[in-house]
Amino acid sequence: MRLISIALAVAGSLVMLAGQTLPAQPAGLGGLPTFSAPATHHTQVKLVLSADSAKPGDTIYAGVDLKMDAGWHTYWKNSGDAGSPTTIKWQLPPGITAGDIQWPLPQKLPPIEVTTYGYEGETMLLVPLTIGTNFSAGQADIKATVGWLECMDVCIPANQDVEAKLEVGTETKPSAEAAAIQSWQARVPSAINLAGGIPYADSAWWEKSTNDNTRPLIIDMKQLGNIAASVPLDGADFFPDASDNFEVQPATEVIAAATSHIQLRKLVQKISGDWPKEISGVMVAGKGSPQGFTFKATISDNALDSSTAAMPAAGGTVASPAPTDGTPTLPLMLLYAFIGGLILNIMPCVLPVIALKILGFVSEAKSSPARVRALGGIYAIGVLFSFLVLAAVVIGVKAAGHEAGWGMQFGSPIFLVCLTTLVMLVALNLFGVFEVTLGGGALDKAGELASRHGPAGAFFNGVLATVLATPCTAPFLSIALGFAFAQSAPVILMVFLTVGLGLAAPYVLLSLNPVWLKFLPKPGAWMEKFKIAMGFPMLATVVWLFNVAGSSYGKNVLWLGVFLVIVAFAAWIFGEFVQRGQSKTVAAIVVLFLLAGGYAFALEKELDWRAPIAETEAAGSLKESADGIDWQRWSPEAVAAAQAAGKVVLVDFTADWCLTCQVNKKTSIEISSVRDKLKSLGAVALTGDYTHFPAAITTELQQFNRAGVPLVLVYPKNAGTPPLVLPEVLTPGTVLDALDRAAK
Amino acid sequence: MKKTLALFTALTLATSLFAVEIGKPAPDFTGTDINGKTVKLSDYKGKIVVIESYNSDCPFCHNQYASGAAQDLQKDLAAKGVVWLLVNSVSAKNFSHRTPEQAQKEWADLKINATAWIDDTSGTIGHLYEMKTTPHVFVIATDGTLVYDGAMDDRPQPFGDPHTAKNYVRAAVDDLLAGKPVEIPQTKPYGCAVHYAN
Repeated sequence: MRLISIALAVAGSLVMLAGQTLPAQPAGLGGLPTFSAPATHHTQVKLVLSADSAKPGDTIYAGVDLKMDAGWHTYWKNSGDAGSPTTIKWQLPPGITAGDIQWPLPQKLPPIEVTTYGYEGETMLLVPLTIGTNFSAGQADIKATVGWLECMDVCIPANQDVEAKLEVGTETKPSAEAAAIQSWQARVPSAINLAGGIPYADSAWWEKSTNDNTRPLIIDMKQLGNIAASVPLDGADFFPDASDNFEVQPATEVIAAATSHIQLRKLVQKISGDWPKEISGVMVAGKGSPQGFTFKATISDNALDSSTAAMPAAGGTVASPAPTDGTPTLPLMLLYAFIGGLILNIMPCVLPVIALKILGFVSEAKSSPARVRALGGIYAIGVLFSFLVLAAVVIGVKAAGHEAGWGMQFGSPIFLVCLTTLVMLVALNLFGVFEVTLGGGALDKAGELASRHGPAGAFFNGVLATVLATPCTAPFLSIALGFAFAQSAPVILMVFLTVGLGLAAPYVLLSLNPVWLKFLPKPGAWMEKFKIAMGFPMLATVVWLFNVAGSSYGKNVLWLGVFLVIVAFAAWIFGEFVQRGQSKTVAAIVVLFLLAGGYAFALEKELDWRAPIAETEAAGSLKESADGIDWQRWSPEAVAAAQAAGKVVLVDFTADWCLTCQVNKKTSIEISSVRDKLKSLGAVALTGDYTHFPAAITTELQQFNRAGVPLVLVYPKNAGTPPLVLPEVLTPGTVLDALDRAAK
Repeated sequence: MKKTLALFTALTLATSLFAVEIGKPAPDFTGTDINGKTVKLSDYKGKIVVIESYNSDCPFCHNQYASGAAQDLQKDLAAKGVVWLLVNSVSAKNFSHRTPEQAQKEWADLKINATAWIDDTSGTIGHLYEMKTTPHVFVIATDGTLVYDGAMDDRPQPFGDPHTAKNYVRAAVDDLLAGKPVEIPQTKPYGCAVHYAN
């Protein structure tokens, strides 16, 4: 029966279509002459107004109510892969103007390969009507032609004239439909509710560059603060606005969905022209009765990998509370960067360098103001130069498709060994074991502070201050850096240099006003003692760095200590016999011999300093607790062996610095249900530690198109079958489900 | 069900990256036309081929034929040696499905000037080419590379006269015949969803 009625409907409308010769209409369906055949439609249309009567100057709402028969649907403003949006063409008395259509949140309609956005059952499109202030009283006829495409198994285009009467007079009287209009208004996406006045930031960035026509885009809506939002943000999705030159594909991968943060991955397909620079649409949250929130952001290039971007410390593009304003407030971020840099001066990592600076100022206090100014400037240049290098490294790492982070160089044991050695030499220098001179011939000046605090010394202090500052973050700094890491190269450069300016500012100011230095004590013999005293904070820094290096080398870090002692001994011989002694040549040979021998023996042979522990540690269980998962160290061979033995394999690539990994482990992996499941399946659990970027894991990550961790894989028990790749943010269900599937 | 769908999306996403891509060889296929004849894309190598995802019950597609615009274009292009293949991927369960007999009648009634109407009830060719809508058209150059993928024209409406619109297929074929690169290689297809069997 149903089929026949549809057949009749289709036949009817097609006959009418075929019989008409219509001029081209630029405005879509709405511009057509009416043909009224309501009996064949599957959508009932009526026009309602929010008021029976209104005053000139009022704005009332018109609602175009569309009731679809069961199974039929009409479309949203972006109809998606197919379909066509409903149009309304108004015929209004002069003096009354209609605004844009406000569309209630639509549904995502199947099938998945041709996803459309539309409405089933009933919807009401809302349009504000403004009555001019000089509109003369009386009855106004509000008329419109509504055009739509209704689809089920077939699609039928239709249009219909609708009208309603409005009394314009001296009072505003709501109509019987006002409540219905209001309830539909509540379903129109709007700016997200502000919890406690804390705004949400909309941001979007390309996950990676591509030569392809499809590119993953990260869409991120984050509350700037930790106050619980008024809306549950589960079941997140994103409905894009319509676009001609690109298409946001319907599939959505949820990376994060918490009350204060939604992060989604969408694939964008480029149809023509350049990649889009801006993305807008509706962020959808809440299962059951979803709510929509308007979303708009400029797309930045090549931001951080999601694993670090998801960290709470990283700020987003700050949007003002105004819903449509998604512009990044770069000036505010630069201010944060400057303040952050300023505060860095009193963070523990930089303090030892401060001591050097104080010493420098004391010794220079009596110099000409011009020289003091020059040295202050050179210090600043040293700082800025270092930040320039850091920014270049960050930009380079990002361009290479890896993730970059503040202080990431501290993840490199090679860097740690070099820095530990350098800082120890600075300490020894302060103790007076040897002098730093430039140009070789300045030996007679050895011991004079001036030589150390000349231009080269000032520059070196600037570099050292920056290098030591990087593992520290300060208030304000994390927000500015979080912002910067997600931005384009020029912005990164700008923010980094501003942090540098903040770090250098106090000294530059002091050197510009040498008068203030008068408050410092006069130079004298005490300075030599003060200098030696300042060597101890440096020594403390060495201990800290040594300890950090310990996490890379384990017990073998002993050999780094041995190397440091050899270097220290060489430094003493250098100071005592090369710089101040008589038999310079012999001493110099001894120094070279010590350094070369120390390097070859302690660093190369014993420590194997370029191959940190992650790859050298013996295999064996890595259980975290007595009843924990029996983790084994990951290797491609271990995976192959377990699969060959017909076992399901769970692989977790993780890193100490990866917050998401730790959260995943706590909530969804190292939990009793997963432990039991692994036991009952006899599955093998392998873990790969990416803390120190071992090459084998980098290669493995690249195979799965990931720039970093987390990466969790579940290999089916049949040898050679490719693994299931789990999402970056896990739930216990995801893990259990994947294990079940792998066991089949 | 959901998982199957997700898997299916993953597959279609994967194929979308590799199967049909402008400038790459258009994937070959073999089908049966409504007269029972075997049609193989690679047999047309050396000719320009237009592939159109077709379902005349779809108002957008129907308007192209009701107005005669599609037939006129097919005739013009046939005179230039262009092959035009209709691919109907509508599921057998759908109201719009056509048996070969119904299709032959429709071919005659609408005076279709295409080379062949391929019965793709299984959806194999439709999925291979990632056909999203009816009409969704593809133009393949004489060397077998795909040079156009998208809408029929710049007028995504089920009414009015498509003769007045800028037809992307005509433009692409003209560019090819003039020995120029195709100026508009890709647009967003409009129309009704293809009613696939799965």
